[in-house]
Amino acid sequence: MQLYVFHRTSYRYPGPVTESYNELRLHPLSNVWQKCLSSTLSILPICRTQSYLDLNGNIVHHFELPEEHQKLVIEARSLVETSQRVDFNNFPYGVNLCSLSKMEVVPEYRDYLQSSSYVEINPKVWRMAVDLQGETKDVFQTAYQVMEFIYQNFEYCKSTTTVDTHANEVLDIRRGVCQDFAHAALALCRCLGIPARYVSGYFFDSTRDRRMRGAEASHAWIEVMVQGHGWFGLDPTNNRVVDDTYVILGTGRDYRDVAPITGSYYGPRPHQFDVTVRVKRSDTC
Amino acid sequence: MSIPRQFQGYSTEHFFDKMFSGNGELRARSHYEKIYQRLDRLTETEISERRQQADSSFLEHGITFTVYGDEGGTERIFPFDLIPRVIPESEWNVVENGLRQRIIALNLFLNDIYHDRKIIKDKIIPEEIINSSKNYRPEMVGFDPPQEVYAHICGTDLIRDDQGNYLVLEDNARCPSGASYLLENREIMKRAFPQTFGGMSVRPVEAYPDLLLRTLEYLSPRKSQKPVCVLLTPGVYNSAYFEHTFLARQMGIEIVEGKDLIAIDSCIYMRTTRGLVQVDVIYRRLDDDFLDPMVFREESMLGVAGLMDAYLKGNVALANAVGTGVADDKVTYAYVPDMIKYYLNQEPILSNVPTYLCWRDTDRAHVLENLENLVVKAANESGGYGMLIGNQSTLKERDEFARLIEAHPREYIAQPIISLSRHPTFCQEGIEGRHVDLRPFILYGEDVEIVPGGLTRVALKKGSLVVNSSQGGGSKDTWVLREF
Repeated sequence: MQLYVFHRTSYRYPGPVTESYNELRLHPLSNVWQKCLSSTLSILPICRTQSYLDLNGNIVHHFELPEEHQKLVIEARSLVETSQRVDFNNFPYGVNLCSLSKMEVVPEYRDYLQSSSYVEINPKVWRMAVDLQGETKDVFQTAYQVMEFIYQNFEYCKSTTTVDTHANEVLDIRRGVCQDFAHAALALCRCLGIPARYVSGYFFDSTRDRRMRGAEASHAWIEVMVQGHGWFGLDPTNNRVVDDTYVILGTGRDYRDVAPITGSYYGPRPHQFDVTVRVKRSDTC
Repeated sequence: MSIPRQFQGYSTEHFFDKMFSGNGELRARSHYEKIYQRLDRLTETEISERRQQADSSFLEHGITFTVYGDEGGTERIFPFDLIPRVIPESEWNVVENGLRQRIIALNLFLNDIYHDRKIIKDKIIPEEIINSSKNYRPEMVGFDPPQEVYAHICGTDLIRDDQGNYLVLEDNARCPSGASYLLENREIMKRAFPQTFGGMSVRPVEAYPDLLLRTLEYLSPRKSQKPVCVLLTPGVYNSAYFEHTFLARQMGIEIVEGKDLIAIDSCIYMRTTRGLVQVDVIYRRLDDDFLDPMVFREESMLGVAGLMDAYLKGNVALANAVGTGVADDKVTYAYVPDMIKYYLNQEPILSNVPTYLCWRDTDRAHVLENLENLVVKAANESGGYGMLIGNQSTLKERDEFARLIEAHPREYIAQPIISLSRHPTFCQEGIEGRHVDLRPFILYGEDVEIVPGGLTRVALKKGSLVVNSSQGGGSKDTWVLREF
């Protein structure tokens, strides 16, 4: 499927701000599941960007605006070819949870099994995870149950959490948005020894009545490692296994590693902040 | 397959032909197969019948345009050719991407030169080019137009060279016209060849008026209520008056002349039978020069006194913004690839036609020596006026242009004569190849939207390279195919 993504973020400040340094993770990845055909970044006030790859292999653009300004507008437009990625009739069942002990020693997965900025492995979460797992001995089945559990028991609610809300709090209040649901799922999976990483991106709502959640904003979900089969995407916000309607911007331990826009500046907080995301299918009309 | 009667004697000569590949032997390109077969089944009478239908349909709808500087009557039908131009989806995708990249860069450029001028400070574009552009508006310096977009509606002319590569010939970032023909042509083709049209999964263009209205509404300074948008026309004598009425009707907005609007306390109101109504967005089909007699041309009777004041105070939005002409100046054009690299850090997807700038001493010397092999154009004219085509000119014309270039080097550019691609077209003596170009319409509101295809213009005069309606051009419907 070919997907076109338009992502506009604008900040307006009540007074002049200076020394603005920013990092963007808005360039879709090219990997085995998707190919980024084009990605265009435009920024106002006019400035030039530099790019590099971070430790997680994500594409980062950074720019600086030392001079005074009162607004900042960042627009990213990308065209991505996605592949089906998963066979819905043939999920990777049959990998036993016992196999996970081998993963702990693989350096590649170590980061995804431990606590990180937004995710903590503690006895309380572990207890919850073990109850959830029940009799299941299968890795994918367990991860799927985690996703289902969050989808069914957590309330999708935009105003209760902030960008800084920790997974512990989310598991407590059982409310939040896609970012919170992903963090909660990471905590539960990691407690059970399943390597799990945070994914930032977008998804295209192909349902007729547009009933999916998070399609009109940046989206987030998780990926779990099923040994011998690779990474599988699970979206606890919509209770779906990730397929070709999803576009990946980047992956990391949690939100902190892949925040689409981060930065700092001198000056007052923005009094107006708007985000627009549009995802369209571009291969048919 | 044998060659249909109509194509007996057809020759692609040495040009890139849209319908046929290969030299000598005619082989229809696969995406033209159905049209080719359909034409084969048509008899002479059927063809002329359909042409009459099309012509009368244009007359009934009043699809006319006006030719300036022509003594023998002025209003004409825009000639229409029944053979559609077909573009496969994969080809169109490249064009669409390229146009999107280009319009973003052009808007960043406009923003830049009316603000910090970083592209000048970084020595990518010389300052005198900007300051000497006739369409540079110092009034706009430091002003933030609504939603930071300058060129909301842009018609970019594309041609294909003898290799079939798409090249950008020019950007029309002021008041491009032609969208109404694009819509009307489609209506007529659907009626003339319903079966062929239905069988080819052509991507629709009918959304254009709706997209245009959404683009306009997006600019409204009053977010709390439904925006009042109007189309400002110079009046019935304008060459594109038909288009103005057509688009206003399609969008369901009022069409107004300058005298219908009034500025009170830095807001713009429309006089209606029920009193004054505040206007939020003006789709103006009027050049900057005529917009406001208080700021621009004093003698203009077409504009609205006080409009610029209201605009600069943010009480009314204009589409396009004032001062966009500096981006479609033909000298600035030569720098667009550099803009794309500078602002977007990307290579241009669509190339420019190589351009000699007469204000550069070396370029000018080359131009003056090679006039008969070049096309010379005035930097700020449009519609095919003020142009010299070297190999079709007389010595007298060339001398005249040489003098003009010497006198006003900034005002002229020159380009090599590109052997434009050709397309089979109904002519007096049956079907012949005629040169075509393509003008897609790019809308930039919240995001960039481009209806698939655009207006294909065709130079109906044999051998002519000028497709402008004012210079004896016609048009075709453009079919972008969907691929599964």
